Amino acid sequence: MSEQLTQIKPLYQPVDIPAEIATFPPEIEAEIDRHLAKYPSSRSAILPLMFIVQRERGYLDPPGVAYLAQRLGLRYTDIWEVATFYSMIHTEPIGRYHIQICKTLSCKIMGEQKITDHVCSRLGIKPGESTADGKFSVSLVECLGSCGTAPMLQVNFDYHENLTPEKVDKILDSLT
Amino acid sequence: MFIGAIGCEPLQLARVHLENSRSMEVYRRNGGYEALKKVLTSMSPDEVINEVKKSALRGRGGAGFPTGMKWSFVPKDSPKPKYVVCNADESEPGTFKDRYLMERDPHMLIEGMLIAAFALGAKTNYIYTRGEYKYLIDIMDVALDEARAAGLLGERILDTEFSCEIHTHTGAGAYICGEETALLSSLEGYRGHPRMKPPFPAVSGLYACPTVVNNVETLTAVPDIIKMGGEAYQKLGTEKSGGTKLWSVSGHVNRPGVYELPMGYDDMEKFIMEDCQGMRDGKALKAVIPGGSSVYIMRADQIIGKDVRMDYEGLVAGGSMVGSGGFIVMDETVDVFESTKNLTEFYKHESCGWCTPCREGTDWLVKVFRRIAKGGGVPEDAQLMLDLCDNIEGKSFCPLGDAAAWPIQSAIKRFPEDFKKHLENGLQ
Amino acid sequence: MSTELIKVTINGKDFQVPKGARLIDVCRENSFDIPSFCYYADLALQASCRMCLVRIEKMPKLQTSCTITCTDGMVVTTQSEEIEKAQRAMMEFLLANHPLDCPVCDRGGECELQETTFDWGGLEERFTESKNYHPEKYLSPMVANDPQRCILCKRCTRVCDEWMGEQAIEAGGRGAGTVIGTYLGWLNCSQCGNCIEVCPTGTLLDATYRHQARPWELSQTISTCTYCSDGCQMSLGSRGGELMRVVARDRYVNGLNGEFLCIKGRFGHPFVNHEQRIRTPLIRYKKGGKLVPATWDEAIAHVARKLDDAADKHGRDSIGIIGSPRLTNEALYVLRKFATELVGTANYATSDAFSLKWFFANLGGKLSTHRDIRYTKTILLIGGEPEELQPLTAKQIRQAVRNGGAKLIIANRVPIRLVEQASQFIHLRRGTEDSIVLGLLGTENDQLILEKAGVTQKELDSLRTTIRETQGDLLVMFGSELSPDAQAVIGQLPYLLASDNRRVLLHPLPLFNNSIGAHDIGWDDGAMNIKQMLDSAGGAIRAMYVAGSILPAQLETREDALSRLDFLVVQELFETSTTAHADVILPAASFAEVDGTFTNNDGIVQRVRQSIPPVHQSKPDWIITSQLAAELGVEFGFNFSAAAVFREIADRRPAYSGLRYPLLKDETHPIQANYPLAERKDAAEWMARIKTSLEDAEPPSEKITTTPEVGHELFRIGTLTDKVPQFHLLAAGNPRPETFRISPLYQITVDADLRRESAAVGD
Repeated sequence: MSEQLTQIKPLYQPVDIPAEIATFPPEIEAEIDRHLAKYPSSRSAILPLMFIVQRERGYLDPPGVAYLAQRLGLRYTDIWEVATFYSMIHTEPIGRYHIQICKTLSCKIMGEQKITDHVCSRLGIKPGESTADGKFSVSLVECLGSCGTAPMLQVNFDYHENLTPEKVDKILDSLT
Repeated sequence: MFIGAIGCEPLQLARVHLENSRSMEVYRRNGGYEALKKVLTSMSPDEVINEVKKSALRGRGGAGFPTGMKWSFVPKDSPKPKYVVCNADESEPGTFKDRYLMERDPHMLIEGMLIAAFALGAKTNYIYTRGEYKYLIDIMDVALDEARAAGLLGERILDTEFSCEIHTHTGAGAYICGEETALLSSLEGYRGHPRMKPPFPAVSGLYACPTVVNNVETLTAVPDIIKMGGEAYQKLGTEKSGGTKLWSVSGHVNRPGVYELPMGYDDMEKFIMEDCQGMRDGKALKAVIPGGSSVYIMRADQIIGKDVRMDYEGLVAGGSMVGSGGFIVMDETVDVFESTKNLTEFYKHESCGWCTPCREGTDWLVKVFRRIAKGGGVPEDAQLMLDLCDNIEGKSFCPLGDAAAWPIQSAIKRFPEDFKKHLENGLQ
Repeated sequence: MSTELIKVTINGKDFQVPKGARLIDVCRENSFDIPSFCYYADLALQASCRMCLVRIEKMPKLQTSCTITCTDGMVVTTQSEEIEKAQRAMMEFLLANHPLDCPVCDRGGECELQETTFDWGGLEERFTESKNYHPEKYLSPMVANDPQRCILCKRCTRVCDEWMGEQAIEAGGRGAGTVIGTYLGWLNCSQCGNCIEVCPTGTLLDATYRHQARPWELSQTISTCTYCSDGCQMSLGSRGGELMRVVARDRYVNGLNGEFLCIKGRFGHPFVNHEQRIRTPLIRYKKGGKLVPATWDEAIAHVARKLDDAADKHGRDSIGIIGSPRLTNEALYVLRKFATELVGTANYATSDAFSLKWFFANLGGKLSTHRDIRYTKTILLIGGEPEELQPLTAKQIRQAVRNGGAKLIIANRVPIRLVEQASQFIHLRRGTEDSIVLGLLGTENDQLILEKAGVTQKELDSLRTTIRETQGDLLVMFGSELSPDAQAVIGQLPYLLASDNRRVLLHPLPLFNNSIGAHDIGWDDGAMNIKQMLDSAGGAIRAMYVAGSILPAQLETREDALSRLDFLVVQELFETSTTAHADVILPAASFAEVDGTFTNNDGIVQRVRQSIPPVHQSKPDWIITSQLAAELGVEFGFNFSAAAVFREIADRRPAYSGLRYPLLKDETHPIQANYPLAERKDAAEWMARIKTSLEDAEPPSEKITTTPEVGHELFRIGTLTDKVPQFHLLAAGNPRPETFRISPLYQITVDADLRRESAAVGD
């Protein structure tokens, strides 16, 4: 006997379905559940969940997209169109340490160029590139809300402010 | 970096220097949650909205819309759930005040949101925080847990009939999501494209329900408004701009930081030269962007000796706008052509791509700027850029188009010499 | 929209317009043209292209007229220096990154960007920087894509979402880097090509027609689709006797489908000029021998002799006549006239097993039109799978739900894709579709239905409540799963379920472009149906005259039926499993080579028009039949005029009474046949029989839970679609090619023998 509207899953997907669907351990699933519980509509949790998947898998890869589509009851293209809109969601591999140097006006007039040159010469890459071993990526990003302590950069989610080349060296040395 | 009040007693910045300022215990010991108690035990929602109206509080995110009026647009008899959404997507270049409010005094925001939720009948509320501010989301989550544990959040707050929840929500790196309808799109889980107004969010916003979107600084002003009364708050400022404003000062001053000034502070020259301890390295003041990158850039000679009052009317009279209060000070070493190029690249990167003029226009402008920077500028480029800005301004879907056009228009008109020297180099 | 009129002043002139009308429509209707790209009727509003800006008094900025609803006293300016400057500015922006591809772009000559530039653009393009680069590529076997040309009007994403419910193609990225595409880049959708049709530029193009012709070289002929029963209007573009392409662009045709077509309608035409078309009449003089080319005179004489023999030896009834539900009304009429008046046999049938005769015999109200579907309030879909078999109907359903707030109730054994739009899905056990009909009218049989169909009381109550609360139109659609008795009850629903606030409209879902026409012409009156005729082959039936082919589905389990015949003559376009047994094959002309009419599932009669002369030595079906009749001594007297045939149809068939070709000329005003309505009847007997059948039924308790793959019917390889190379790729699962830069046809080879499994539906 069908009790209510028969839920037939999965949602029809008009694209190649990635062969593998990411799986996560129970604590991560619990974290995801906590986020989903905050909203009346599960789609609202798409950004928090994308960050979790990105954190666990390095970037938002096809298995991660498949997982999100399944979890949220969305199409792969829905996930893709949202992911590609936001600067902080990466659908391509990114270094383990993503060095984001603020290039907007206040930082620029307070010496960003010197910091960028220093970071790039130490790592041997240009902004927009990653080191060959996948450890570092360098990007120039827009205003991070730290104008009073310019110049500054962000490593993944950590702020490093009032920079000098010496401070930059210390930061890079500390990233194992 | 300095954080403090000048010209008035600190209201928003009252507790930022206390040890453990972000803990609920410190907050309560210093007058915290008194306003909430007053509201829940002795005021009606309408009375709360009235106080906010009397306070002449205006949206502190940049638009400057009277907050009390915005709250009164929410239809009280609507059967749909209401939402209060705090806009903590602080991405306007030069602005960093919300960051310190959330970092040092998260409970003030919680109390402000609770009072707003009470006034509007909202049960579930969100703090939309930009993704880069992740550490602030963590701080806010701890504060929310503290409030919940103390019965200040959740079911039957302070043993009254009022129940209300607040959740944090992360953005992911999109300036456009600071625009209220784009924020709601993003919060619903879609691409952050702005939506048509009308219908306005107060009538149909989050999940098509009545929603009020307010900036962090707007909501953190509410407890003080309740405590001292709307009229008293308004009297701290001017008739049309009540209370105090936080100015995020950066650039070539000796003492950058977050400054709390009374509205109508007299005047901008004093502020730069005395309160911010003047220009670095003895250099001369050249330009100021007083309200975040989207406002008109000001020449030094529009400030020095001009008695520019620091409130909404005063700045407009002085040739710019209050905006978000992102106060960028530039000395004579700055090439305004380069600074404008830098901002144009910002707008192009952040343009959501929905409408033709902003998407194509900012892309075109950046290409022109880059060509000129490489030495390929011709004199006609100045007029070309002004034309492109005219074609974007007023014709875009949302104010980001205007925000992209204004810095360029004002820079070319007020600093022609900086542009001329690039444009006459071309054709070689 | 209300009927109250208000005053709006446009460019100084006053107009009375309905309150709530959209300003852009009002301006255009009153000859004040306003350019636009993103505005498209009945799609979600965008206001993103900013071309339609106008000045409205008392509003501070220029406003997009597509989002403004008229209010009383509104004062609008659409022509002024300010507005012209804005329009030129927007065009300049759109052309900034747009490549100068017109010489190599297929859209040239019918490109909205070109035309709007001519009409509204400036004389100068000041953009001299480098344009953003994106490589051109393919998104699927049918869709070619050049992202640089895109102006981001998002019509394509909206039609994919709102018309097709697929959301296959979306916008990714942000700002000036936004591109239209899909996750992982290869579109595995239903390949309808609507995104190509609505695209105002050359961004999305027909990959099957790439670089083949210029639109101004083509002669455009308006005709009706030859595939499903929805009867979409299309424009056939041909050049030099070759059908090059099929489109539904509104500059060429404006029928009940708008610019909508499905994959078969849009891409299924290469069979017309295919090299495998039968070129000459062929005669097999000995059973098991070879087919020998013959002249028409020889072939007709031979056939006439053989038919005469058969009639003499075994009687007139030993000759069976089979028509295809794909033939025009004219062809079917002449063939039936041949059968009943000349041959005098009672044994004629169409090769379609799904008959609607009980439905029409008891029809108590008018059929819905596709327009009615869009504005209906409740849709009940019993059985069927419109998204695969009648895509235009599915599109109208989706728009009714999305834009009209209609409630869609689906009762099906399979969770079809349309369930996504449904407000209620009644999941039935196999073979129990009739139970819904039982449950519609009352609660007495509920216990039986719960037990046999595997549904709950709550579901039945919800169904009845939704129907009862409908204020407006209730539309009932049904597929081939219903029994004759259930069909009869459905036909009577306009009497049984209508009320003061509720009109009941009916929409049957037959499978072929002229299934309804075949019924209307009288093909359901034959003594036997197709299966019975095949079973009688070699017994009661000794000779057969087949126009079209017998569906492979009917021949399954009856493989030797045709070989038992003494004589078989087939009129066909291609060699098929039917012609394999034929003694004579006569080359017929396709729908693109004849004049005639098809009747769709609304009962709307629409013109089929000749776009190219019959290829090789083929002839229109009805002319072949007439020639055969003349050889047998009877002059039908139509004198090669299809209009004359149609006049006789209109005189003899009551539903078409009064219709003539000139009345059917305008596809923007389709004419519905006037079906004679049955009077109200007592449904008790039918209900009793349905009840007994249900009691005797033993359906498996496990229900089907897999949603069928998209294209499982649309991509089916049949006689006609077999001739489209891209269909073979799709039937093989649309494999992802290694590179998207070259057409997948050059990268992937598919076995010529690849056919999907046969099922109830066939060609």
